[in-house]
Amino acid sequence: MNLEDVKVGTKVMIRDLAGKDEVIRRVEAMGLRRGKSVEVLQKLGRTILVKLNNSRIVISKDIAKNISVE
Amino acid sequence: MKKKTIRVALAGNPNVGKTSLLNHLAGTTLKVGNWPGVTVEKKEGSLFYEGYTINFIDLPGIYTLEPVSEDEFIAHRFLTEETPDVILNVVETPNMERDLLLTVELLELGIPMVLVLNMIDEAQKLGIDIDTERLEELLGIKVVKTNGRTGAGVKDLPRVVVETYEKGIRPKEVKYSEDLERLLTSIRESVDESKHYLIKKLLTHREYFQHVERLYGKPAYHVIRENRFAFAHGLYNEVIKRKPITSMDITTLLDRFLLHPYIGTVVFFLIMFTLFKISFDFSKPFMDWLDGFLNGFVSPIIKMIFKDLGAPTLVIGFFSEAFIGGVGFVLTFTPLIAVIYFLLSFLEFTGYLPRIAFLMDRFMHKLGLHGKSLVPLLLGFGCNVPAIVATRTMESKRDKLLVIAMIPFMSCPARLVVFSFFAITFFKNPTLVIFSLYMLGVVMALITAMILRKIALRGALDHFVMELPPYRLPTLRLLLRMVWVYLKDFLYRAGTLIFAVSILIWLSMNLPPGVEKPEDSIAGKIGKAIIPIFEPIGISDWRISTSLIPAFLAREIVLSSMATIYSVEEQGKKGDFSVYESAKKQFFSLLFATKEAFSSLINPFPKTFEVSEEHSTLRSSISKSMDERSALSFMIFILIYTSCLGTVAVMWREAGKKFALGFLVYSFVMAWISAFLIYRIGTLL
Repeated sequence: MNLEDVKVGTKVMIRDLAGKDEVIRRVEAMGLRRGKSVEVLQKLGRTILVKLNNSRIVISKDIAKNISVE
Repeated sequence: MKKKTIRVALAGNPNVGKTSLLNHLAGTTLKVGNWPGVTVEKKEGSLFYEGYTINFIDLPGIYTLEPVSEDEFIAHRFLTEETPDVILNVVETPNMERDLLLTVELLELGIPMVLVLNMIDEAQKLGIDIDTERLEELLGIKVVKTNGRTGAGVKDLPRVVVETYEKGIRPKEVKYSEDLERLLTSIRESVDESKHYLIKKLLTHREYFQHVERLYGKPAYHVIRENRFAFAHGLYNEVIKRKPITSMDITTLLDRFLLHPYIGTVVFFLIMFTLFKISFDFSKPFMDWLDGFLNGFVSPIIKMIFKDLGAPTLVIGFFSEAFIGGVGFVLTFTPLIAVIYFLLSFLEFTGYLPRIAFLMDRFMHKLGLHGKSLVPLLLGFGCNVPAIVATRTMESKRDKLLVIAMIPFMSCPARLVVFSFFAITFFKNPTLVIFSLYMLGVVMALITAMILRKIALRGALDHFVMELPPYRLPTLRLLLRMVWVYLKDFLYRAGTLIFAVSILIWLSMNLPPGVEKPEDSIAGKIGKAIIPIFEPIGISDWRISTSLIPAFLAREIVLSSMATIYSVEEQGKKGDFSVYESAKKQFFSLLFATKEAFSSLINPFPKTFEVSEEHSTLRSSISKSMDERSALSFMIFILIYTSCLGTVAVMWREAGKKFALGFLVYSFVMAWISAFLIYRIGTLL
């Protein structure tokens, strides 16, 4: 499953990140790394809002679909 | 002999409260500017402590030091090329685990460092406690706990910075996995090469990174990144005393409403409406009062003094009209700019501004624009000058320039004054004409954005990644300080340009010396010379083309200058001027302005759009030298051409000289083409 398909309110763990390296680099630097658990707070248009520890991060769905979760 | 100045770079992730810290540290010395050649904001300030001048330079907020984005590039270049004496590494304690990645990268530089654990109060509420002694021991540097909001703990910083500087307290070397360490040691050529430098060498030399790839079976930069994460993670686990507890907080609660697809959108427009109302209606009475005070009080006094001294007419005119007029023109912008900065800073520090981007992205991205751009674009309908100023909140240079190029087409009340004059004079249905002009402006903005995206600002809308900080209530002190800092910068950089050009325009109207009729002035001659340019769009009267010269100050001036040139209205009343009586009058009108400002806040309809009827005598003269078609063509020309010195000046300041002047030419050409088309189509009908 990838992050784009996760339902609002669900907590998942990040398994892997794919896609362009500079995008991965940015996403990882913001804390979305392998093994981290995130909660999907909201989906709006082409973006997804996730909560990770104490931070809230907005990512676009085209990035989210490259993040596989379980 | 010790060095008297210590250069301190503030580094940290975005939203970690560096600005608040800097405000507490640097106080009144705080100033804003831009990093050389780019549109990224730079904040600086200084402090005297025990014989040292400590200069603080705020680096852009970044998540990693690997230079890809503009912000990262600036921070990276400053740290590696201009090497500060001390790095003040600010960490948002509630998100320490994430923030430590940047910390690790900063540690690699081997520059003396102080680690600041900011927002310690928020961390405590979340049940996070950090073992600072252990952290100091592991890293070999000083750690200070602060609360950026109240300023608690900040007073320790100067002492710790000086101590770190004097003793040269460099962090202990970061240790990665054994294999990697061995590799890095093998490529070391001299002892003073930092880990940062060694890693750079490893990643840029083919034989080195290929070696790593063979060894690990994955790209070298992956290996480095994993090692950094591992180090940060290990460090975090060593120093954290209690694991965070998750509880319902205010941010989650507020976001339920403010980020709700429907409720949130309604709230956004309510906030936008309030923002619009306060910034324009509240400041308008003060702007008008300032204008009246300078032109109706200061100017006559100066005129009186110079007359008593026996100065020639041109000199009297220069000081009482051009000089005071120029100063006054700059000053009339200040209440507006101050109010806008106050409200925008409030929205930014509370954390609402980035949420707008999230909320509005679904509408704006269809136009190829960033969600945040809606705020400056809407403000443009109130006044283009603060709207361009408001683009400061956009992070990407591409998005920022795109929006700056769109704003001038948002029709402002200055244009409404001109439109209503011409529309009422020439058309049976003025409302429809004016509404169509507003729409045409929006269409022109979208066309401009499209053109820019096609040629200059190419590249897909960036992959949307951003953080939404928790809601925080900024202190009034911080907000007022930011207003003052930005206002100073505006007066210094945009104000001087506005002043200089307004003087030039005055001179063009009043030279050669002794000029009586506008026809004989330099402006009048230019007006006549440019007639061939305007004839194809239906303007063949030199008096109209000449009025465009003073109208470059601001569009609404086109009416009063036409009145002067057609000499249908007397400029200024003659009569006795009593300093005492006028002073009394000015005082009461200030009281009245204050009352107006507050009472306009209660009125739900934006007052900015109310137009008063003026220039009735001009109406009949104008209707003789223009017809419906040329009036429409003229309105379109005024709508599209950036005939507004304030706009050009802030554009110059925010986007650079080339952009501002290029845009001015572009808007002129577009205005001409549009006016030409409409005029010609009108001729055919």
